[in-house]
Parts: sequence; C-alpha cells; structure tokens
Amino acid sequence: MEDRLRSIEDKAIKAVRQAKDQETLEEIKVRFLGRKGILTGILKGLGRLPRQERPKVGKLANEVKVRIERAVRQRLKALEKEAGPKVIKGFDPTLPGRTLPRGHLHPITTVLHKVCSIFERLGFSIAEGPEIELDFYNFEALNIPPDHPARDMQDTFYVDDKVLLRTHTSPIQVRTMEVMKPPIRIIAPGKVYRCDSDVTHTPMFHQVEGLMVDREVSFAHLKGILTHFAQEIFYRDTKVRFRPSFFPFTEPSAEIDIQCVMCRGGGCRVCSDTGWLEVLGAGLVHPQVLRNVGIDTERYSGFAFGLGIERIAMLKYGINDIRLFYDNDLRFLNQF
Amino acid sequence: MLVPSSWLRQMVDIEAGDSELAEALTLAGLEVEALEPAYPWLLRAQVARISRVEPLDEDRRMAACTVETVGGEAVVACGAPNVREGMLTAFVPPGTEMPDGKEVKEARVYGINSAGVLASEYELLLEGDAKGIFDISGRYRDAMIGQSISEITGIEDTVLEIGVTPNRPDCLSILGVAREAAAIFDSSARCPESDVNGSHPLEGVSITIKEPALCARYVGASIGGVSVAPSPGWLARRLLASGVRPINNIVDVTNYVLLELGQPLHAFDIDSLRGPAIVVRTAVDGEKIVTLDGKERELSEAMLLICDRDRPVAVAGVMGGIDSEVTEKTRNILIESAWFAPSSIRRTAKALKLPTEASYRFERGVDPTVQKKAALRAVQLVLELAGGTFKGVRDENPVPFTPKRVNFRPDRINRLLGTRLPGSRMAEILAALGFKVEERDGIFATVPPPFRADIKGEEDIVEEVARCHGFTNIPTSSPVATLIVKRPQSFIPFIDRVRKGLKCQGMSEIISYSFVAPSDLQALKLSPEDERTMVVRLLNPLGEDQSVMRTSLVPCMLSTVSRNIRRRNLSQAIFEVGAVFINQGAGVIPREHQMCCAAVMGRRYPESWAWPDRDYDFFDLKGLVENLLKGVDCDSFSLDLPSSAEPFYENGTQLDIRAGEVLVGSMGQIDLGVAKAFDISERVFLMDISLEALAQASSFRKNFVPLDRFPSVERDLSVIFDDFVRAKDVLDFIRKNGSDELVCSYIFDVYKGKQVPAGKKSMGIHFVYRAKDRTLSEQDVERLHAPLQHAILKEFGGLLRS
Repeated sequence: MEDRLRSIEDKAIKAVRQAKDQETLEEIKVRFLGRKGILTGILKGLGRLPRQERPKVGKLANEVKVRIERAVRQRLKALEKEAGPKVIKGFDPTLPGRTLPRGHLHPITTVLHKVCSIFERLGFSIAEGPEIELDFYNFEALNIPPDHPARDMQDTFYVDDKVLLRTHTSPIQVRTMEVMKPPIRIIAPGKVYRCDSDVTHTPMFHQVEGLMVDREVSFAHLKGILTHFAQEIFYRDTKVRFRPSFFPFTEPSAEIDIQCVMCRGGGCRVCSDTGWLEVLGAGLVHPQVLRNVGIDTERYSGFAFGLGIERIAMLKYGINDIRLFYDNDLRFLNQF
Repeated sequence: MLVPSSWLRQMVDIEAGDSELAEALTLAGLEVEALEPAYPWLLRAQVARISRVEPLDEDRRMAACTVETVGGEAVVACGAPNVREGMLTAFVPPGTEMPDGKEVKEARVYGINSAGVLASEYELLLEGDAKGIFDISGRYRDAMIGQSISEITGIEDTVLEIGVTPNRPDCLSILGVAREAAAIFDSSARCPESDVNGSHPLEGVSITIKEPALCARYVGASIGGVSVAPSPGWLARRLLASGVRPINNIVDVTNYVLLELGQPLHAFDIDSLRGPAIVVRTAVDGEKIVTLDGKERELSEAMLLICDRDRPVAVAGVMGGIDSEVTEKTRNILIESAWFAPSSIRRTAKALKLPTEASYRFERGVDPTVQKKAALRAVQLVLELAGGTFKGVRDENPVPFTPKRVNFRPDRINRLLGTRLPGSRMAEILAALGFKVEERDGIFATVPPPFRADIKGEEDIVEEVARCHGFTNIPTSSPVATLIVKRPQSFIPFIDRVRKGLKCQGMSEIISYSFVAPSDLQALKLSPEDERTMVVRLLNPLGEDQSVMRTSLVPCMLSTVSRNIRRRNLSQAIFEVGAVFINQGAGVIPREHQMCCAAVMGRRYPESWAWPDRDYDFFDLKGLVENLLKGVDCDSFSLDLPSSAEPFYENGTQLDIRAGEVLVGSMGQIDLGVAKAFDISERVFLMDISLEALAQASSFRKNFVPLDRFPSVERDLSVIFDDFVRAKDVLDFIRKNGSDELVCSYIFDVYKGKQVPAGKKSMGIHFVYRAKDRTLSEQDVERLHAPLQHAILKEFGGLLRS
C-alpha cells in the first residue's frame, strides 16, 4: 500500500510538472485529488485495511495529498507567470486614453506669473499703467528731459509730440507714487514698445518693473532682494554679479548679471564667452524722481528694478529666437 | 568706444593684462563688451613663397603667381613690378576684410582664377610704400611660410570695445578711459603735451561768436604751407582700430586728437574761407550747405553754423562743408576746437539725421577746458606729419567755465549704500577721480573735475563712491519693511481667471502685436460711426503693416488663425487677452480696454480612435463661452439674439453676450468674406468680450444651496414644432409657467428628418419635479405636468410625437 501511494505521488507530481496549461493542470488535480480521484479513492478505502495499518497509511496518504497540492499550486503560479497578466477578451486597456487638449498659457504669461509671484511673496503688490503714455510719465518725470542723450537708449514709437508707446514699465513707478505715500512696494508687469526688430529684438515685449520706497532702504537691500529673485527664478546656487551702469531715474544704477545658465560660467555662445548674462537693470531711485512726486528724500529712499520677460523666458526654456513669441505658431505655443 | 590697448597704455601705466583690465573697467561701470584683435587683416595675411611667375599678357604687366602657402599652392594674379620667383611676400586669402573696407574675393583675372591677393605694405597699413608687393625675404630673415604678417612684424594690438553710458561723455576718449583705469589701478594718467607756443597770436583770420549761449568757446589755430598726404602706418592703423577710416594726414590728425582727448576738431582750408573770417551764428531759414558727404542740407533757424564772411562753411559740431574741405591741394589750414551747447547740437544732428563722431560727443558734453590744449596738440601733430609753419592761435571764450561745488555727508552715503566707509576713504576715492575734496565739520565739499558734467548732487557722489568701492564689496542684506495693508487695485487677477477659464477648456493663449495694418481693421467692415474706427496712428511705425494701434483683437485673432492654417495647424482653439486703444484726440492718451477674444476652427477633437471625427461648430464655441462665464462667477449672463449686428459675423449666426442688461461681448461665425480678407476659407467661430464689463458683472461670491432631501420625479416630452420655434422661447415659457416643483428642464434631443414632416422639427424636453418638503406622488406630478404640457403645445402650436 505504501508503495502504491509513493508511485501515485511520483506519477501525479510528474504529470503536474509537465502540465502545459492551466486547464491540463486542473484536469490532473481532479484526476488525483478530485472527489472521484485516485488518491481520494485510497483514502476512502482506508476502512478496508487492517486496523493497525490504518493510521500509518492514512498519515502517509495525507502527506502525499499535501505534497501534490503544493506541486499544483507551484505549477499554477509558474504557468500564470508564463502566461503574463490577465487578459479580458475584447478589452484592450493599452489603447491611448481619451485625452482632451490640455490648453496652454503663453510662455510669456507663465514667466510673468512666476516673476510676479516671487515678489508677491515678499509683500509687493501688482500695479498697472497705460501702454500708451504721456511723454511726461515715460521720460520727464523719470529725469529724462527733452534733448537728453539718454533718450537714445530707447527707440521710441511716437503718436504725437506728447503721446508715445511706453518704452518701459517705469512710468508705473511715477503713477503709483503720485497716488500712494510710502511705504510702497509694487511690481508692475506689462507690454512695452521700442522701434527695433531683429533676431534679438521685437518691437513689442514685456517688462516687469519693481519699486520699493520706505525708510532706510539701501543698496545692500537691493542686492539682497534681487539676489533672492535671481536664485528663485533660475537656480538656488546661481551666482549673481552687480555692476555699475546708468539709468537717468536711478543713482547709483546697476546692471545685474547672472552666471550663464547654459554653460554655468564656462563661456558659451549664449553668453558671448563671458560666462555672464545680463538680466536686470536696477538702482536706488534718483532723488529727483522722488522729489517730482513730492516724497521727502531725507526721510525716504527706495530702489527700483526692471527686467525683460522675454529674456528670462528664452533662458529658462532655451528659446533661440525672440520672434517665436509673437509668431503664435501652435507648434510652439503647445509646448508650454 | 573702441580703445586700442596700446594707445591706452601709452597714457597710463597698468601692469594688468587686457582681460584683467577689461574685467576691472566693467566692474567700475565702463562695460567692456568685447576684446577683439585690432588689426585682423594682419592676422589673416600670411607669409607665402612665390614659386612660379607666368606672364598673363604681352606687356608682362600682369602675372599668374603660384605661391606656396601653409595650406598648399595657390595661384594669384599680380601686377606688381617687384614680383619674382623665390620671393617671400604677403598673401591675403579670400574672405579677408582689407583696411580700405573691401573684402578679398576669388576673382577671374586674365582667364585665371585668382585665389586671393599679394599685398603691398601700404595696402596692409604697414610703414612701407605702395610701389610693389611686400618683399619679406629682404627684411625678415627668419620669416617662415604660414606665419602671419602680424607675427613677423610684431604689429599686433587688442581693442577694448567699451559701452559708454550717456552720462559719461568724458570716457569717449582714450584719455578719459585712461583716467578711469588710473583711478582703479591706483596709477595716474598722462595727457600728451604739446610744445607749440600757445601765446602766438592768430594771423590773418578773424573769429566772431554771435551766439555765445550756443558757443561758449571757439579756438582757431592756423598752419601755413602743409603738404597733404596719406598718414603714416601707425596713425592709420590706430584710427582704423578705433573705427575711423583714414583719409589724409590733416583730417586724420583731427580725428586722432578727437579720439585721444575727446575734443572734436575740424580743419578748414583757409584759402577757401572768404574774409578769411569765421563767424559763429545761427542759420537763416532756408539757408543751404553741401556737407562733406556731398549732400545738400537745408538749414533752419535754430541750427548753429560756422560761416565765413558770406556763407556757411560748416554745421557747427556736426559736419563741415564741402567747399572748405581739406584736399590734396590745400596749403593753409585753420583748426577749429570749440565748445557747443549740447542740446543745440543734438537737435541739429537729429533734424538733419546726421549723427557724427563729433555731434555724438558735443551733445553729451565735452570738457569745456580742453579746447586750446586739443588745438595745440593737433598743430603739433600736423607740423610733424605734414610740415608747414604755425601761424598762431586765437581763443575766443565769451562764457568761461565755472567749476561746480557738490557737498556730501558720509553718514548719508553709508545709509544709502548699507556700508560703513569712513569719510576719509570716500575722499580718497574722489581724489583719485580728480575731485578736489575739503572737509569742514563733517561736511565734505568737493569740486568735480571739469570733464565731469554729470556730477550735480550728492547722489552722484554716492554713485562714485559705490562704484569705486566696488558693488561686490557692498553687503547683501534683507530690508526691514513696513507691512503694507492697503494695496493698489489691480485688474490682473481677474484677467488671470479668464485666462485659466479658457486654458482649462483646452484653448491655447496667443499674444500678438498691439499694432496692426489699417487694412486689417478695415477688413472687419466696421461702420464709420463705430468707435473702433477711431484708431491711434504711429508717427514712426516700422512699416505700414504695423502702423496703427489695434481697436479690436479680432484682426489679430484672424491673422493668427490664417498663419496657423498656412503652417498646417488645422485644429485651432486659441484666445488672446490684451488691450485695445480708442483714439481720444491729439495730446491725450487713448482709452484702453482690456478685451478677450477667442476663436475655434478645424477638428473639434484630437485625431484619435477615442473621439468622433468632426469639426468645431457654433455650439462648441457657445459651450466654451457659457463655461467661461460660469467660471468667472458671472451668474446673470445670457446669450441672446443680437440687438445690433457686428459686421464681421455671418448673418444670423451672432449672439450677444450679456451680463444682466449690460452688453459685454458677442460671438458667432466669422463672415466668409471677412475670413477671405485674411486668406481663410475655413469656418471660424469667434468670441469677443470686454473684460472690464465682464468683471463688473462677476463676483467672487458663492451662495451655498442646501442639498435635496426628497426624490425627484421625471417626465419626458417629445413635441413636433414648426422649424422657426426657438428653443430659448420654449425654455423661457416653461420656466415662467412651470410650478415651483419644476426644478429643472432641458432639451435632450432635436431631430429633423424621417418621420418628421418638412418644415418641422421634433424636440425632446426633459422635466424634473421635486418638492422641498415631501416626496411627490405620481398623481401630484401628473397634476402639475399635464396643464404645462398642454400650455406648451398650445403656445407654440406643437403636436405630441407618438
């Protein structure tokens, strides 16, 4: 009897291991372990055995049953693994999803938001002004009288002798200071215009102007705020360099370079091998500008800064031609 | 400003190399934009050996020379008399720009392809002559084929390209840059001295200044018996490296001194001056002069002129006249060195559209004390280079220069910079820049040097201290700021809600130029009374197609649609937010409106197995608009048949967008004729909304509505109506006549075709009944629904569909 059980076990396990698919395996399982199966038959016939043999054979038969069952489970797992994930007939979950177009904001809008939000977190508020401006706000109130050579720095579109397309967002400084008393902290985004058009210039572009006027505002603070900004908008470890420059409405005036984001300072085509990229203009507000709007320059001081959004966007996204922004080709816009 | 390094170093001793110098100047405010070789042609021209000479014509004037170069053999046509086999000479390869501005090109000469030129020393601006090609073998024993001419002659230099800001005209000269460099490197600048006797009175020419307000000083110096000739190589090379083309020794000297000291000079041929006299006066309207560039210029009253006894001989500070020009025949010259009022020169140069090296400096302001020194320096150089005899100098100075005084407080400077510099350190910085500084009771009084007209107040001293101390050395810190509770009003958050409302519906934002072509606006067929015809026109547009400010976003939108169609982007859902401008008359700023315009065309859904293949239609856009309005919490909006037609929509497709009673915009299908004007033959659906009006009607407020507690009972109704019955009228009727328990009704189906007679349509309407306080029974609903159904059929002449 024991021999018979052993031979049943050998046959069963051999058959299980050779089973090619789940159906065959199921058949084998039924053949040996099913209600009418070979092993079940033996267990049922235990009663016919002599009393003293029953426990021994019964124990063995149970052990055989457990081993066959284990073999079946193992084989089933192996077969499932071979067969791969479960498939429902007629249902292909790998078809692409039913996506709707996502919609896209213009990259200039996105970068404007980023720039403004950095300053909003520092307590600056958004301010606005007209795109078609009076000469007074665009130039004179900013310490740029008629016939001043500084007017050559910006090629101006004129509407008539008093009205022009603003060449920078700086007039918003003046308009804000006319209606607000210090402390003032504003950030002013908007379109500006200069009659210039080539690979690096478009006649319309976007600037953000910033202004802070309070007691005891210093050049060191300007450095602090703008270093923070440059590192937020580019990389945390961006190196920032302040160098003297000239704007009629700030003094001292500075231009702010960041370490080239393309070559990280090693020198490349984008930074003309200097390792630096100019990204901001800034300075302490010229006392004449403050006096023009009736702010006491002995009590208050301030700084102002301006930056071109296109330049930031080009550097952030690696865009090589500024005209792409206003060409509005959907193949361009839908990348952002 | 182009500054040859060797010239700068002649005027100031600096040990630092060129790139270190450039870096230091940049960080002190003189931005060095580039370092370039001064004589690029000498780097490209190379030593080559003539291995074979074959005559090309019978006179043996022109020969085909085979030359060995480092890159192999080249054949070059050459007509020089000293050509011989075995000779080492200068070969200039094609692509080289020669000192005369011409580029060497491969050329067909006497039937051969001449691949470059063999150059004379004169052509290369070296010290030798023009008689033959450069005979290197005789002069440079060690020269080897392939070496550059720069290498064998040792003539090389670097040019610092400096971006001089408008406030620093004093740095528009080598001397000015040398002074800055001296201050930075703790050295001192040397001004070239002249040994010409400055007290020798001017002979034979009178000088009269009639406009002392415009001409504060006029120095005239005369030299007789000069020989006009080309300048020597060193002078010509320096001028060229500084961006000035050499002409002859006299003109070159005036330009050389202009670059060296920053004082523009002019040389007249005395024999062409009537009188001979110099009269400085303003022009008479309509007066004319032919300037050195050969163009006749009409002058106007405000322009300052240099005249002789009878007529203008120069436009003061801008350009000389051709009649008094120095030519090869000139023997006697008068050198002019003057100070003109900046704004007068600027206006004149602008009016004549004639910006020159001279006007550029005069309008920014030249040192008012340097005129005589510059004249004598020029005299000295002319005597050296062109010979002749000094005939004296006259210095008319009706408005002498008075130095300014500027005070500063060190503690104020420290507060503004965030530094802790002692006053004595500030005084040192200023002294190095040429300021006279005196301290009395903590107040520092300074006298800026005469060449620093930009120093007017304490803030200018702040800047001088800051830049010389070094921006890098100023601390970086965070301000202690006052909390600002009251904030300026801004429209931008609302505009952003609109942007997001459209983006979320799958649309792409565009930004187009605010200026358009007048024809683009005309294409909208607006009536003459429409305010959108009141355009703002630019005085100086870049072109006619960008000459007026847009009064509507519609043309921008259609141009963009058209451009994208041409680029095969055939499925478009785009929008723009931006300002339009309505003219309010001259001298005042126009009214600006923030608008939002959106357009859809082409495929509605992405090309995919998952979506139906159909194009955008009217109701797609209408849905977008409805969603947008709900998204900005405009509760009271309606889309109605128009009260007045926009001419750019296809007739009958327009709806007005209203918020309450206020018209905020419109939508519809673009008229096919209008589309054609933008080169579009596809159907385009467009919406145009005024954002100010919409913002007025929108709120950020939301009112919670309690959730339903009782179940609803629903009914469907299918009715056959006449085709002209409008959905809106039916729905409005239902809303008006339905009971309070009718909480919702909508159209679930519109059908025309089989089983529906011609001229009719079938409309399926769904009704939802619910009471606030109980569960409605079937009988309740029947009691409410039956009379409503009856009323609908009666009101609109409908028939129940079986």
